[in-house]
Amino acid sequence: MKRLLPILATTVAVVILAAIPWFGSDVLVQFGINTLLLAVLAQGWNIIGGYCGYPSFGNSTFYGLGGYGVGIAMAQWHLPFAIGMCLGAALAVIFAFLLGLPVLRLKGHYFAIATLALAFAMSAIVSNVGIAGQNIGLVLPPLNNDLLFYELSLGLLVVTTLAVFQLTRTRFGFGLIAIRENEEAAAVMGVNTTLYKILAFALSGLFTALAGGIHAYWITFLDPESAFDIGLNVKMMIMAVFGGPGSVLGPVFGAFVLSTVSELLASEVTTVASLFFGVVIVAAVVLMPRGLADLSRRFRAEGWRYLANNIRTYRL
Amino acid sequence: MKALLEVASVTRLFSGVVAVNDVSFSLFRREILGVIGPNGAGKTTLVSLISGTISPTAGDILFESRSITRLSAYRRGRLGIARTFQIMRPFPGLSVLDNVAVGALFGHGGSGRTLANARERAREQLRFVGLGSVLDRRADELGGPARKRLELAKALAMQPKVLLCDEVMAGLNLVEIDEVIDVIRRVRDQGISILVIEHVIKAIKDLSDRLLVLHHGEKIADDKPDAVLSDERVIEAYLGRRRD
Amino acid sequence: MRVGQADEASEPSCRSNEVTAVTLVAQVLLNGVLLGGLYAIMALGLALVWGVLNIVNLAHGAFIMLGGYLAWYLYSYLSIDPFLGLPITAGVMFALGYGVQRGLLNFIVRAPMFNTLLITFGLDVVITYLAQLLFSADFRTINPSYAGNDIMFGPLIVPQVRLLAFAAAIVLTVGMWLFLLKSRLGRAIRATAQNLVAARLYGVEPRHLYATTFGIGIGLAGTAGALYGAVSQINPYIGAALTAKCFAISIIGGLDNPLGVIVGGIVLGVVESFALLYIGATFGDVASFCVLVAVLIVRPSGLLGRTA
Repeated sequence: MKRLLPILATTVAVVILAAIPWFGSDVLVQFGINTLLLAVLAQGWNIIGGYCGYPSFGNSTFYGLGGYGVGIAMAQWHLPFAIGMCLGAALAVIFAFLLGLPVLRLKGHYFAIATLALAFAMSAIVSNVGIAGQNIGLVLPPLNNDLLFYELSLGLLVVTTLAVFQLTRTRFGFGLIAIRENEEAAAVMGVNTTLYKILAFALSGLFTALAGGIHAYWITFLDPESAFDIGLNVKMMIMAVFGGPGSVLGPVFGAFVLSTVSELLASEVTTVASLFFGVVIVAAVVLMPRGLADLSRRFRAEGWRYLANNIRTYRL
Repeated sequence: MKALLEVASVTRLFSGVVAVNDVSFSLFRREILGVIGPNGAGKTTLVSLISGTISPTAGDILFESRSITRLSAYRRGRLGIARTFQIMRPFPGLSVLDNVAVGALFGHGGSGRTLANARERAREQLRFVGLGSVLDRRADELGGPARKRLELAKALAMQPKVLLCDEVMAGLNLVEIDEVIDVIRRVRDQGISILVIEHVIKAIKDLSDRLLVLHHGEKIADDKPDAVLSDERVIEAYLGRRRD
Repeated sequence: MRVGQADEASEPSCRSNEVTAVTLVAQVLLNGVLLGGLYAIMALGLALVWGVLNIVNLAHGAFIMLGGYLAWYLYSYLSIDPFLGLPITAGVMFALGYGVQRGLLNFIVRAPMFNTLLITFGLDVVITYLAQLLFSADFRTINPSYAGNDIMFGPLIVPQVRLLAFAAAIVLTVGMWLFLLKSRLGRAIRATAQNLVAARLYGVEPRHLYATTFGIGIGLAGTAGALYGAVSQINPYIGAALTAKCFAISIIGGLDNPLGVIVGGIVLGVVESFALLYIGATFGDVASFCVLVAVLIVRPSGLLGRTA
């Protein structure tokens, strides 16, 4: 019985979310699409950053590739959206395999920086590629159906989360966690660390690219700077970490909460919203470094002392 | 009798320093081979060479008559070579049970196992080494001696054919040492060959079928324990030259 | 943050009519080296804090930007020359850095590295938007009277401000290297990189030591900002791109040796100048990051670092 409760609760939540477009305003639906896609990004990052322990600053690259896959397929070759999504996904996976090999050999923050460098370079490179519309970007055929995009995004989120959930119950997922906890020990115990890391990177890239593809079609416009925006990468990281990296639902909650807070503030004072975002991050890192998931688990037992303990453990 | 593991003229250099120099020996089935030598003699380097963490500058390593010198560490683990680390390497955020389950999943006996099955096997190994009561604790909550047993359990869960133990008795008191000796004997009785690096000479003398002595990276003795311990060169290595 | 738009500071300035191929190459090389000096001082603070305190400061570029604005205000309202006012800029930024470390970063010193990445990112967001609120988004330049002067070295043209900036940068970088090597505080700082207990043996309280080191790092960033403001334009958003560049420089040069940033800075400056000339504006940045990725793959400890 205890097993069924979370499954039931999650199903109910998904049904409610799916029903929102029929009850909410247009603005709410648009906010919903954005938030759902951000949640996909956070969850995708969770695979390489949360479970495997390699904090990737390069996921925005996959996002852009997904967007451009759809953009090129639809705007330049006049192919349907589904084909575009496949193209975007393929680009991302190929990229993950090609660049994953050299870059995943690096440890810790060197990996982070290498992926950061790649992310920077992508934007500049794509803005010089003709078929991608260079600096001007691409304009996609419009489709005025927010309901469709909303349900698509929700569907993608469900699929991604299910994938992560399934991951935790397989040998592969176990291996990723072992790599995160102690890579050398994992290797000696028989885990093919190189292969697993690249697979995690590619899987992470796949979902990220799909989200990028949906987003590109939704806003019908693509340009190198916004498609490969590194700020987006940092956003997905913060949402994943805020919610609880290495947990199944943590990143989703993190995305929902932070997106909502950001939106509420934006409706008040625009600049202050971003400012507040920064303050929230700073406060969260100090007070709840292990994310919402850990907070919700331990707060019941320890109360406010949980926050104080975190500071005490990590301060000088 | 064919050797299970054969180390042939293996040499390893580290930026000009010779850590292991032209060492050759064999490990046979159901054998406990002790490896002793003063600090810095190259014992841990030797184990790292066999387990695949580092590769030799020269020489060859054969397992079940096939060369494994070019295989990466994880492949050797899957073939049946397991090791414990002198500086212990647990998976800190995982439970004790899951730490060992990794070995059951990915080691020699691991292909095709389900998670539940792996955890079951992990439970067995943990009870075997005497950690049955702390299955659900986080690995980083264990104390020193318990961690050493965890290292052992992790290696055993891999269903190895060869077990390389790097100073599993360091820092233990006499009672704990006797317990570890007992565990190692029972492991051997299951058909596993064991290479044991130790500093506690008395313990290893009774435990080993043969003793290997390393000094400055070279093998200076390889024989039955009594013969080795009365060998002039070995005594000299530990105590220095006699002044007559 | 505009990526792909080459730094205005790296555009070649060759006006002579008789430009031979050799002269052109020499000019571009010279531009690259001058730029490199400036880059070196920008990255020095980041490399110091990273190498010693293991703090990866994503807000570093934002502090450079603040230094630039400070120098601009000192010049515009108090008529203090940006070069002469360097001590003031450095001092104020040092105090700021000390405060940030003692009052904020101190709390997560022992946390996983990733937390410092996040918290400094948050700091970057806060600083950038505060700057936007206070200073507006307009571009500003510090234009002392000698701003337009050029010095001629044979056929080569060197803008006076750039030469001054280069000189200041090199002096400061070498000075920092000597400070770390010879002075008691410098050695205590280096000891901290190894071992906190060892640092205590120098008789300096750890928290104070950490805060001082971070303060020095930020002071250097602020100084670099003042120099940057003199040779190029500043606005609240330049931080992110500058941070990225400083990372590249720190890694290329290696974190073990403070002089590494000079090597890294010059390598990057020269690569960018040539890329700008031969390939085009947008590829200046791409070229830098290609170098960075190449170094990371081939020699992760940097060109001057000790091999693992």
